[in-house]
Amino acid sequence: MDGWVIAMMLGASLFLGAIALFAFMWGIKNGQFDDESKMMSAMMYDDEKELNARADADKKKEELKKRNYKPE
Amino acid sequence: MQKQCSHCHLEFEEDVLIKDEELLFCCKGCQGIYHLLKDSDLDSFYDKVGNKALSAPKNQFEDSSNFDSNAFYDKFVKKDKDGFSEVALVIEGIHCSACVWLNEKALYKMEGVVDVHINYTNNKAFITWADDIVKLSQIIDMIRSIGYDAFPYDKALQESGVNSLRKEYYLKMAVATFSSMNIMWIAVAQYAGYFSGIEQNIKNILNVAEWVLATPVLFYSGSIFFRGAYFGIKNKVVNMDILVATGASLTYIYSIYITFMEHGEAYFDSVSMIITFVLLGKFLEVLSKKNAADTLDILSKHIPIEVNVVDGDDIFSKKVEDVEEGEVISIKVGERVAIDGVVVEGEGSFDESSLTGESTPIYKSLGKSLISGTTSVDAILKYKTTKDFSNSTISNLITLLEKSMKNRPKIEILANRLSEHFSSAILIFSFLTFLVWFFWPHNFETSFMVAISVIVIACPCALALATPVATLVGLSLGAKRGILFKEASNLESMAKATTLLLDKTGTITNGNMEVIDSPSLSSGYKEILFSMVSNSTHPVSNGIKNYLLNDNLNLQVLNIDNIKEVKARGIELELDGVKYIGGSSVYMNENGIKTSVDTHFTSFYFAKNDELLAEFKLQDTPKKDAKLYIDKIKKLGIKTVMLSGDNSSVVEYIADEVGIDEAYSNLTPQDKEEYVKKLQKNGEIVVMVGDGVNDILALGLSDISIAMGSGSDIAIDVSDTILLNDSLQALYESFKISKTTFKLIKQNLALSLLYNAITIPLAMAGFIIPLIAAISMSVSSLLVVANSMRIRYTWNKKG
Repeated sequence: MDGWVIAMMLGASLFLGAIALFAFMWGIKNGQFDDESKMMSAMMYDDEKELNARADADKKKEELKKRNYKPE
Repeated sequence: MQKQCSHCHLEFEEDVLIKDEELLFCCKGCQGIYHLLKDSDLDSFYDKVGNKALSAPKNQFEDSSNFDSNAFYDKFVKKDKDGFSEVALVIEGIHCSACVWLNEKALYKMEGVVDVHINYTNNKAFITWADDIVKLSQIIDMIRSIGYDAFPYDKALQESGVNSLRKEYYLKMAVATFSSMNIMWIAVAQYAGYFSGIEQNIKNILNVAEWVLATPVLFYSGSIFFRGAYFGIKNKVVNMDILVATGASLTYIYSIYITFMEHGEAYFDSVSMIITFVLLGKFLEVLSKKNAADTLDILSKHIPIEVNVVDGDDIFSKKVEDVEEGEVISIKVGERVAIDGVVVEGEGSFDESSLTGESTPIYKSLGKSLISGTTSVDAILKYKTTKDFSNSTISNLITLLEKSMKNRPKIEILANRLSEHFSSAILIFSFLTFLVWFFWPHNFETSFMVAISVIVIACPCALALATPVATLVGLSLGAKRGILFKEASNLESMAKATTLLLDKTGTITNGNMEVIDSPSLSSGYKEILFSMVSNSTHPVSNGIKNYLLNDNLNLQVLNIDNIKEVKARGIELELDGVKYIGGSSVYMNENGIKTSVDTHFTSFYFAKNDELLAEFKLQDTPKKDAKLYIDKIKKLGIKTVMLSGDNSSVVEYIADEVGIDEAYSNLTPQDKEEYVKKLQKNGEIVVMVGDGVNDILALGLSDISIAMGSGSDIAIDVSDTILLNDSLQALYESFKISKTTFKLIKQNLALSLLYNAITIPLAMAGFIIPLIAAISMSVSSLLVVANSMRIRYTWNKKG
């Protein structure tokens, strides 16, 4: 087996691994892992109703934003 | 029969519960919340919370309008880029994820609330709202109306300190773990090649890949060791960081040299393993560190930001810092007193529970002094300040507290002391080994390799893990028994303690009044007295009530219309044209009845018209098993001392009863602090147990401070350890656990030193190549972890 095959395989897999690592680090820095119990706790209330409530909340925010918008 | 309250799920006797159609409630608060949730379509909360008990809503005396003041907005409210207002709050009273869900839903339903995020772990909320539609005070009112409470915290303060340190370690651990795992599987190929032969060009590729992976581990994850080594050299102390930094860097440089020379073995795997293992030990320590920012947040909620100053007919608000002595301040219902003073107009009751732990509101009238930090329950009055803000009780206590916490002596951790000598010795050994091998004579490469293997094998992975793993075991043993150690290093300090200081009320005693001497009374009078005391919530009334109930369970409350409580005096009632009074000796004297005064006890008198019928003597009694556990603590070789603000006869009586070595009475908070100072000067290591604000200065200064779970908020914040069930058994167990943990730390350190004593001579003799060093290092770390687990297992088996 030629050396370049090993080099290429090593390089590609380390590169892909590094992408995952950077994504994880970005998540930590962003505060996505600050709330340790959220993953397990929030999952219990994650149904269709909650999704609708979230969508309504986003809509409400947009409406309030529009109200704040004053043309120059 | 015991029945559950439909809201909070706590159990009560059926006849004391409020009936509401099919439902039962323990209080008006629970009833109100239940209907509010039902009306706003949020009653699915009860499905989500299941059968978990919630805490019953507390009486809210405090007004929320101060959340709308300009000073509050300046300090805590920020505007986001869309023009919405943002605030960070800590929500109190959250028990489970259903509570988080309820708070989020209830707030989202409010008009004008844009966004709500509540952290499931630390109950901190981040709320965004449109200020022209809804006011912050309305948001706070909503949180309070569903049975929780909220207070602001400074987000910037929170982001700094331990939290950011933790994040930094998470990132460093992520990089170190990722790289080490990858290096390990590349290393497997190399080890295989070492035994079965490998082409040099393949070996070069593997070396370069390992080099690439080891570099971030050494320079990013390992940067804390370089930083530690730098400070060590600057302060002329040889610490563990220097050892780790030199060992890892030398191996790294040598491996690069091998990679370029294209012969010999590179040891990048050792570099990353050393850093990862020692970092893991440090990471465990950082995880169990107390968050100082949390304490500051909770302290600050006890102080209002501004007050209403009266000038002639004008009333205007002023920042507390600008108020001078002698100015008149008006207090409304629900307001908190910020500055000490004397009442000049009006009257009413104040809730002093946050300062004294006393749950009954205290009545204040003209000429009576007001203490800062208390809250007006029903008082509308004006008072003249006798001090400025910085000299008032609450701010005084907080400044003194900060000072005493700063002056707290640091007990040196065993592992740190050990590692200094250890590290210098290893560096010297390694250098000597190099010289001996080089002049033996061997070539430079071999001598250098052997010298490095000495450092690598000694690299204190097991030593670094010894303490954190043992303390984690100690912390979890405590948590199971309702003992919360806020910081890991407390365990070691507590194990070395020589003196235990105890507060009296609430610590040794129950804090409840019990009748210890009573006269005989006919059953007719007993019924009247029972009806009288059932109408009052005062601790003395409760004591009498419990005594009468113990005597006769079938006592009934008579139907009396004309009954009235005279604040701080007693109770008066009329039955069939006869007047009965009950209360203190002062109250009796005012009614023309002569009494004998005995200062040893609290007395309650009961009279009919002008005739004295009975005198009850009451006293705070020691907790169950207090004597047993005080004796057990004394057997551990710890001196016990009681410090109390009470008068000497009561203090001596209690000290005798439970067998305390020494007792001091009539002490002010400052006296208690002085006493701690005196002990520490004599080289004693002091543990202080308390629950009230009068103890906080002593708590702040003592080497280890322990608070009872039911104590005042401030005492709990200041303390290192909290006993959730308030019992002296837990106090004894906390001593036992800390002693066990300390023993475990010593065993672990001994294990790792023993391992070094065997391997270092072998390394110096050149028998160990870095590859084997790295493997045996992992074995010693595993030994330390296994030993810690063994202790945990035996303790848990004991129950």
